[in-house]
Amino acid sequence: MAVTSDTSPRGAPARGAADSRARREAGLSGVRRFLTLREGSIVVVTVIAIIYFATSNSRFFTGTNFKTLLPYFAPYAIMAAGQVFVMITGEIDLSIGAMYLFCPFIWEKFHGLGTIPGMILAILVCCLIGAFNGFAVAVVGISSFVTTLGVLFAIDGLTLVISHSTPINTPGVTVLGNSTFERIFGGGTYSELIWAIGIVIILQLLLSFTRWGIYTVSVGGNRLGASEAGIRTRLVLIRNFVMCAGLAAFVGVLEAVRTTTATPDPSGSNDILFQVISAAVIGGTLLQGGSGTVVGALIGALFLGILHDGLIINSVNANYLDLYLGIAILIAMAINTYVSRVRTGSGRG
Amino acid sequence: MADDTTPQPQPHASAQTIVAPATADDDVVRVEHVGKRFGPTIALRDISMHLRKGEVLGLLGDNGAGKSTLIKILAGFQKPDTGTLWCKGQSYSPSSVDEARRLGVDCVFQDLALINELTVYQNLFLQRERHHRPIPFLSNALMKRESRKALDEIGINIPSIDVPVARLSGGQRQAIAVARTISGDADIILLDEPLAAMGAKEGAMILDVIGRLKAEGNVSIIMILHNYVHVLAACDRVNLIQEGVIGLDKPTAETSVEELTEIVVEEYRRARLEAQEEERRHAAGNGSDVTSAGAGSAPSPDVRR
Ligand SMILES: Nc1ncnc2c1ncn2[C@@H]1O[C@H](COP(=O)(O)OP(=O)(O)O)[C@@H](O)[C@H]1O
Ligand SMILES: [Mg+2]
Repeated sequence: MAVTSDTSPRGAPARGAADSRARREAGLSGVRRFLTLREGSIVVVTVIAIIYFATSNSRFFTGTNFKTLLPYFAPYAIMAAGQVFVMITGEIDLSIGAMYLFCPFIWEKFHGLGTIPGMILAILVCCLIGAFNGFAVAVVGISSFVTTLGVLFAIDGLTLVISHSTPINTPGVTVLGNSTFERIFGGGTYSELIWAIGIVIILQLLLSFTRWGIYTVSVGGNRLGASEAGIRTRLVLIRNFVMCAGLAAFVGVLEAVRTTTATPDPSGSNDILFQVISAAVIGGTLLQGGSGTVVGALIGALFLGILHDGLIINSVNANYLDLYLGIAILIAMAINTYVSRVRTGSGRG
Repeated sequence: MADDTTPQPQPHASAQTIVAPATADDDVVRVEHVGKRFGPTIALRDISMHLRKGEVLGLLGDNGAGKSTLIKILAGFQKPDTGTLWCKGQSYSPSSVDEARRLGVDCVFQDLALINELTVYQNLFLQRERHHRPIPFLSNALMKRESRKALDEIGINIPSIDVPVARLSGGQRQAIAVARTISGDADIILLDEPLAAMGAKEGAMILDVIGRLKAEGNVSIIMILHNYVHVLAACDRVNLIQEGVIGLDKPTAETSVEELTEIVVEEYRRARLEAQEEERRHAAGNGSDVTSAGAGSAPSPDVRR
């Protein structure tokens, strides 16, 4: 429809017009970028939750409570960061809970090599399983739901086998629990928070400002088109599955160090899987792929943590906790969708 | 992509008078006896053609004739089952779009290969992003500036290069796909129906750009078009794919809209006769199922692509 009447290719007036247009675009884009932030709605929802709990209970807005809150969101935020990359490609990784569970036990097997080399090797083993996930999805063509569901059961089972269903003491953990290693890898009060913030920042930069990120969006948005454009879509998929698995394994390490033991309990690890996917979706990542945000997932995880913590502080009956949690998530998603509709000014969802 | 274990199509030269594969000394592309099938579908039977340096070649054919398949093979996106390709005097069998591009062959695919979720400038630089060193962050400012320039050069007005291409019209999207390819440094450009979603004015603009590229004389172009007026205006020569072979190879100066129309209408009549024949045979006796024996060569009425 809008067609310039000026067809002279390299005329000086054309160039002048282009310059002023570019300047106008740059000026507008700052404001528009801010208004169309995908994280916008979850920020609004989280602030509402904070205000609600802060006004209804004086114990909510305290330093002590913040520390209680940390383990309820930092680990999920890290795992969600990896999951977001997989979800943007239009796939899903259901095996992250199993990876999280598995890693400390395989770490214990490698412990003879030294604490840190053993840990790195254990994480690499999980990355390899992630590579298998990616290969099965991208090259063999099995749906990621099926692939990672199978891997979930297999790895959960393997964990039970190699641990003989018995809890272990985390490798490298001391009686006092304050060695440098422990303080860095999950033992320190703010260790997981710092890891979470660092990893989220790096991965958001990766997503927004590098080829890896652009290609991830491309594979999720239009896989055929991406490969026609010359993007190696299989490599992109495999890479993201590896990263997702590696981060889940790393969180397995952090949590094992924090709690000083690891228990082979698959039901707990599947709980974590649902929390992570919820955090990503609440944060604004689409289940159908093509769009997502790492920072949003962090805030989504924070929202879930606040909800959990706030309900406990308000002494909600334990039997009702999950019910309220579920209802709150639905309300949050409704607000989320409404806000994003207002934000983009579009009538459609 | 292509699995090479598929049975090879048997080039049979019976019914069709195959035009002898013409060549010229200044060919940049040569295609010799290329065949390609998808399961039971024979997309290309025995294609031989050539492209001269600086030439604009129009590729015609019915829906489902195999035009896009031929273009995709040249672009490195698909592999032929049989036959050989030559590019600038060298044997040419690109294993990927990337490799074809490195050899100077680039393509505007029929489906445009745009990513809806990415912005105009991100799409324009897809798979050839500019980035900083040593930290490989994308240089968005540079890419935006160059995108602006490339689009202004074509003369298509895109309101903002910072919006996702999902928000643009069909013609604007097509212009972006064309701009992406011609602003690269390919010297062999393949265009699969570049004017399909365009209004008259936008179409004229793209043809203008192609005329300008031709005048500069550095690039050779193969273009799939459906409008014969466009073909005669923009192309030096036409090739028509019929039943999996090149059925016509003529300079545009020696043909006319009437002749091209007549050929296609004739083809349609024949296909319909064959279909009626088939129906009659089917009605006569359902028992003896002579599945696809001879009629398999008729262009399928499949209109998808
Ligand atoms: N990837 C594919 N898988 C199966 N069949 C295909 C594929 N691509 C093309 N075909 C078939 O090959 C034939 C030629 O298709 P195409 O080259 O797209 O035709 P055109 O571009 O001339 O309309 C059609 O019958 C089409 O259905
Ligand atoms: Mg086609």
